[in-house]
Parts: sequence; structure tokens; C-alpha cells
Amino acid sequence: MKDDNKPISRKAFMQELRSYRNGSITRRHFMGVTGLGTAMAVMGGTMPAFLPSRARAQEIGDRVVLATWPNYHDPANFDKFAEMTGAYSQVNVFGSNEEMLAKIQAGGSGWDVFVPTNYAIPTYVDADLIEPLDLSKIPNYDAAAFDPRFAEAGTINGTVYAVPKNWGTTGIAFNSDKTGGVVDSWKTFFDGARDQFDGRVMVHDYQLTTIGNALVYHGFSFNSVDPAELAQAEKLLIDVKPHLYAISSDYQPAMRNGDAWLTMCWTGDGKQMHTDIPEIGFALGKEGGEIWSDYYAIPKDAPHKEAAYALINFLLDPEVNKAEALAHGYPVADSRTNAMLPEELLNDPILYPAAEELDALEFGAAVTLTDPNRAELMARFKSA
Amino acid sequence: MAMTPSRARGLLLTPAGLWYAALLLLPLAVVLIFSFGERSPIGGYAPGFTFAQYANLPARFAAFRNTLTLAPIGTLAALLIAYPLAYFLAVKVTPKWKTLLLVLVIVPFWTSILIRSYAWIFLLGGKGIPALLAHLGLEDIRLLNTPFAVLVGIVYGYLPLMVFPIYVALEKLDKRLLEASADLGTPPWRSFLQITLPLSMPGVLTGCMLVFILLMGEFLIPAILGGGKVFFVGNALVDLFLQSRNWAFGSAVAVALVVVMLVVVALYSRAVKRFGATRDDTGLM
Amino acid sequence: MRLYALAVYAFLYLPICIIALFSFSEGRSAASMQGFTFDWYLRALKNPFVMEALWTSVRVAFLSAFMATVVGTMAALALTGMHGRVRKMFDLLVQIAVMIPGIVIGIATLIALVTVFDLVNPWFEPATGWKLSLGTGSLIGAHGMFTMSLVVLLVRGRMETLDHALIEASSDLGATPFGTFRQVTLPQILPAVLAGFLLAFTFSFDDFIIAFFVAGAETTLPIYVFSSIRRGVTPEINAIGTMVMVASLTILIFAQVLLRRTQAQPRR
Repeated sequence: MKDDNKPISRKAFMQELRSYRNGSITRRHFMGVTGLGTAMAVMGGTMPAFLPSRARAQEIGDRVVLATWPNYHDPANFDKFAEMTGAYSQVNVFGSNEEMLAKIQAGGSGWDVFVPTNYAIPTYVDADLIEPLDLSKIPNYDAAAFDPRFAEAGTINGTVYAVPKNWGTTGIAFNSDKTGGVVDSWKTFFDGARDQFDGRVMVHDYQLTTIGNALVYHGFSFNSVDPAELAQAEKLLIDVKPHLYAISSDYQPAMRNGDAWLTMCWTGDGKQMHTDIPEIGFALGKEGGEIWSDYYAIPKDAPHKEAAYALINFLLDPEVNKAEALAHGYPVADSRTNAMLPEELLNDPILYPAAEELDALEFGAAVTLTDPNRAELMARFKSA
Repeated sequence: MAMTPSRARGLLLTPAGLWYAALLLLPLAVVLIFSFGERSPIGGYAPGFTFAQYANLPARFAAFRNTLTLAPIGTLAALLIAYPLAYFLAVKVTPKWKTLLLVLVIVPFWTSILIRSYAWIFLLGGKGIPALLAHLGLEDIRLLNTPFAVLVGIVYGYLPLMVFPIYVALEKLDKRLLEASADLGTPPWRSFLQITLPLSMPGVLTGCMLVFILLMGEFLIPAILGGGKVFFVGNALVDLFLQSRNWAFGSAVAVALVVVMLVVVALYSRAVKRFGATRDDTGLM
Repeated sequence: MRLYALAVYAFLYLPICIIALFSFSEGRSAASMQGFTFDWYLRALKNPFVMEALWTSVRVAFLSAFMATVVGTMAALALTGMHGRVRKMFDLLVQIAVMIPGIVIGIATLIALVTVFDLVNPWFEPATGWKLSLGTGSLIGAHGMFTMSLVVLLVRGRMETLDHALIEASSDLGATPFGTFRQVTLPQILPAVLAGFLLAFTFSFDDFIIAFFVAGAETTLPIYVFSSIRRGVTPEINAIGTMVMVASLTILIFAQVLLRRTQAQPRR
């Protein structure tokens, strides 16, 4: 607001105070024109403890709502963000991009930041549900530092709608004590579910990966929307269903306490579980599967947009992102962050499988999100 | 109030009437209209007139089957567990303890069913009851994410709703009847069958009705304890609106659920009338 | 018999005890007991989202219960002793409202309101500066619609057992209809009205399924708990659950005492 340093006459001060009291100007404006803001800022600068976090919170509000995925952040970072800005983060967790889209479509999701996957972004743009990003408010986003393979899906027709969070793969986590060794194929996964791993296998509550990997089992594309191929995938899934432990995208608790032995699994969950429980391993299906990249984006009707930008910017700070990467165990596409990560993480075969293993994987295609047959197939599978 | 002129009656009824019109009749009408529409390409609703959604209903057959088997079984199980407790509270307990014990039955009902259900995840999971059973030599018992787990959750969640109406009915029972019967040398089990049970029937029927109605629309307990495998119609509905975004088909499933419910309730009321039971106490039927 | 009762009570309370017990665990996992701490309670009380969700729940429950009680009582008064088509129609509405599953109410309200708002907002928003959306208003409306029906059932039931001679006597003695209501009818139906309010409050406070659909951007406590359960449970949720339980219990006992007093005073 205007010039903060200009002195203000007594009369003008009183006038401003009155309008502040009766609510016709905001506190921020009041503090700005009267110079009180400067005074507070100076005091805050010299005596950090003196300045309550509230004073700074005026700028972005005291809250920000994040819609994200399970086990996807370092909780300490949100505490740090609250300390720095006075804005608390509410973290809502979803199990599929479909669920996020449904919530936004129904109006008034109340989210400020959400984390769509590469293939979902075009749909949000087409439906005009997502905000073009003002990159000047995200100075920590340095496009040059990102591997374009994992950043390009955020830009559509030259407009940046989303900035990259991290990437990963969808593979198989197995408890080798129980499975008797590495499980690295969808064939073993789905056949074993009906045989030696009966009642111990989990699949995602997520059409893209559950249907996708059933397609891959049959040798089809992960992204197929061909009715005949989908029919074969459905047959497999319905056949397997009675033998599953559960259909859920939050599989860590069941894997950790030994109830489940085998699950479809995202890279970072595999890494997190492997770190705590060495006998749980992670492998890619050798027939193929998904490689993906997640992004930060802001819904059109986000109630706290300034806070949304601040949070995204904060999370993209290489130092903060390093803590995120250490907590979530997904590979980050930001070379600045990678420069700070320990050597063994950058050489970890779970995060960075051999290049030829990645070759078999596919990025999700936008059509799978809106294809009515895939959506209905998944719903039928679950209610079967 | 018998003298109130009809103008005053009209005024008193207007707010309730408007409320029902805006938030009961209008929403139900929208569901009915949408059930003849189509799914829009990116999800949601697109206007249209088609019976395709109803034609697709067999795709949710399993959900209806699960609901129509687990809801009666759950109701019956709750009844079998609740009846002896209600009997105990109404007949055996001294007045001094009665209030406390009754309150103890309601208290769980006053706490979020969400939190209560989720406690069963620990109890039924591998580290809970199955681990205890393993000590007894029963290896490899799986409870969580099975229909059994959902039944446990159902009985647990709705037990107080079953206990109360039965208790109220048994409480009204004239104990002198039982004494007279005993004096005449009738064995207790016979008195129970001939006197207690018939007189408690209104309570039993009310309790069953209440629990059954709630179970027909159940979503939460199967969602928490069924691991996505034990699907009720409620779960299918949530899925259609919050995952596959098919408002038209979802509306058709909702209409079907309401119709099935009305049919079952009508059959039930008829059966009740045939057994000669009187009107129940809640005014529900 | 006594043993059986004991077993049922154990069944009812075992899960609740487990929740309470784990709320004191030091570890992050909510599924095992490590150490003893009150930290999770402090964390929950300091967490603005928990507090705001609680506040939203209380506000919605109070307002919806209050409106439902007033409107429901009015309707019950009018319906008593009434015959004919209007009475039949209202009886039917009350029955439908009570019988239709909450999930159908939630979904129906959601799609109806979203559709209506989409139609209305293009001219309503520029005209008033307000954009209609789901939130506290739709929560109160949907909860109140259901609980109003419970109030009608309760109060009407009470009205039917009422001593009508008293009411007639009162108006014969020249009391205005309102005077009769205040001095004769109200004291007699008060227990039912209060019970209706409490029932309505509890329903709204505990409801998850309707709120899940119509809350829009608002978060009630059950919605918060549900999404936290999905996030991987920490003992914080156990602490919240325990606190809500203790609070409900306090209100319940308080209400019991209150009800007993109001019941005891007018008679005997």
C-alpha cells in the first residue's frame, strides 16, 4: 500500500483510525498509511520475539488449506511455515485424482493449494477450475533447475498452471519375509493374489493405477481406453477381488503391521516403509506401469490465494524441499534440491531405478481421467 | 389449541412447509430428474431424457445384495444381543442401579460413531483379536475388511438403538402377571414365551425398524471396517458422486435405494399388522 | 444374566477405552502404546483447524437445533387435533424426512443446491455482491430439515397425551390463545421440546454423512476426524475423540439433571 515511510499528520491519523475502527479500511491499510506497520516491522526486526506471528499473518491470513496425497510431506515443514508466516496448514488427503476433481467440481472445495498429477492438469484447465500461476509470487520456482520431463505438464499453451513437486513411479511393495523374495511383475502380483498371497494383497482405490496395471498384466497399454481391453482388465480385477486384503490407497498401516504382504505402491511409500522395515522392498513391474509427476496448483476459487502462493513458494525453497524429499522419499526434479541431498539417496535404486526399467513405464494420459468407461469399470469393480 | 382458527394454523405450519419444500421436496425432485439424465463428458450431470441409468442398475446388483443381506443379519444380531440386556435392565436390576446402567448404554451412542468404529480397526486388525486367537492356536484368522468386521461394527454402532425401545416395552410390563403365572406353577421359560415376549413385541419391532432403516443407508461402517471390499449401496453412491462423478447414474441408484426401502418397510409393516401388533411408540410406522 | 450384561458393557466400552488409552501414547503411531504424555491433548487444543472444526460443529448444531425446535414445535402445535388433506400431507412429509437415508438426503441436497446456485449466481452475485455456495447455511438447512421432523414427532406425541380440558378451561376463563399457550400448554410440552432440542443438537453434532456432502468448504469435527483417519492416524485423533466423549458426557448429565427438574416442577 502506498508509501509506508511518509509521515502522517495527527488529523489524518485520527481520520484513518476512525475508518479503521468502523471497518471501512483494512488493518493492513491502516498500518501502512499510519506508519505503524513500519514501526512494528522495525521492532520485529530487532527483537524477533517481540513481534507476534499474527502481525505478519496479516499479509497472507492465518490459514492455508492443502489437498494432497497420503504420507506426502514433512509435518515439521508445516510447523515451520506457521512459525514463519502465522498461517497454519490444514492438510486434506485424497486417494485419487478423480476424488480431487469431484470435490472441486461440486463447488466450494475450500482448498488453496492442491496436488494434481500430470495427466489431470489438462482437464482442470479445460473446465476452467485452475488458476494460471503468477510466477512472480513464486520466486523459488526456477524453471531452469527442473528436469523438463517432470515439469512440462504444468504448462499448457504457454501458460504455467502448475509447478512440479516431485515425480515417482507406481510399482509393487512386498514384504519379502512373507512373499519369499522380490515380487517384480504384475503377473506374479495378480496371480499370486489368487494363490500363495491369498487375502494379503492390496490395490489402490484409484482407477488409473488399478485398471492400468491390470491392463499391463494383459500386455496392453497402461492408458488404454479400448473397450475390449478394458473388459479383459475388468475380468481380471473382479476375479481377483475376493482374494484381496483391501482396496485402498492408504496401504502403509496394513503393510507395516503385517496384515498385508503385497501392494500397489508409489515410490515414496516404498522408500518410507523400506527405511523403517528393511524386509519391505519395492520393485517396478517389469511388464510396465506408471511414471508420473505431481504438481502444486491453485484452484480458481481458492479462498486464501496469497497464502497459497506463499505455501507453494515455501515448499519449493530448496532447503525446505530437501526436508520434504527426506521425509517422503520421492525423487525431486529440482537440481538445486538434489545438490543438497545425501549421496546414498541419489543412488537409491527405489528412487532412481535403472534407466531401462523406466523405459517400460508410461505417463498417465489425460483421457483416462475423463473416460466414462474407466470410471464406471472402477466403480463396478468396487461394488462387485 | 383446539380453538385455533385455521389462519393461525396456517401461519404455524408455513415455516415447516417452506423448509420441507426447499430442502426435502426440491432435492428429491432434482434427484428424480437427474436420474433420467446423462453424465457430462468430464463428469457431473448433463440434461437429457433416457432410461439408460435405470437400465444400468444391474451393475450395482452386488451392492444391493450386500445391503439386503447384511442389513437384516445385522438387525437380527443386534436384536439377539440387545434383548437379554434390555430384559436384564427392565426386570432384574434394582432401581438404584437402573439409571446408571441405562445412561451407560446411551453414552457410547453420544460419541461419534466415526471414532468408535475406527477403534475396531485396531481390535480386528492383525495385532488385535487375531493375535490373541493365535495364542489359542487359531492361526491366520483374518477379521478386518470382511463382512464379519462390518457386522461387528453394525451391532456395536446400533446396539443402544435396539436396547432402548425393548427396554421401554419391558418396563411397562406388569410384573404381577409374571408372579401370578409363577404361582400357577408355570415354568419361567413358559411365562417368558407366553407373557413377556408377546408384550415386548412393540419394542422389538420399533427397534428392528429403526436399526434396519439406518442400515439400509449405511456408508461409514463398511467404509471404515470393510476395506473397500464390503460394499453397501451407500458406498456405491458415495463412489458415484465422489469418484466417478456420474451424477445421473448416482441419482438412479439413489431412487432405487429409496424404492427398495419403501417396499421393504411396507412389507414389514404389513407383516407386523398381521401379527396383530399395535402402533409403536415412536410414531414411525 | 449379570455376567451377560457385564460382557455387553465390556463390548460397548472396550473400543472407547482403547481410544482413551492410546491418546496418552508418546509415539506417533495411534495403534500402540509407548510411554505416557498429555502432548496430544495440547497439540489438539492448539491446532486451529481442530478448534475451528469444533466451533463450526457447535455453531451448526446449535443453530440448526434451535431453528428445528422452534419450527418443529410450531408445526406440532398446529397439527394436533387437525384433520384433512393438509394434516395428511404433513404426516407424509415428516415420515419421508425420517425414513429417507441420510446419504440420500446428503446427495440430493448437494446436487439440488449446486444446480440452483449455478442458475442463481450469475444474476444474484452482481446484484448483491454475494455468491451463494455450500457452507454453514446448507449444513444448518439440511440438518434442521431432518431434526425438525424428530421434534414434530416428539412434541406431537406429547400434545396428544395432553389434558385438553385444561386448555379449554383456560380459554373459557378468558385467556388469549397466546396466554393459554404460555401458561398451560408450554409448561406441559416443555420436556418434549427440550428432548427434541437435545436430540437435534446431538444428531447435528455427530452427523458425518450429510455434512460430508453439503459442507462445501466448511469442516465440521466429524469431517475433520474422517479425513485425519485417512491421513494415517496419530494419537491426536484419539485425544480429540476422548475430549468430545467427555464433553458429550458432561452435556448429557447436565441435560438429565435439567430435564428432571423441569419434569418434577410443574407436577407433584
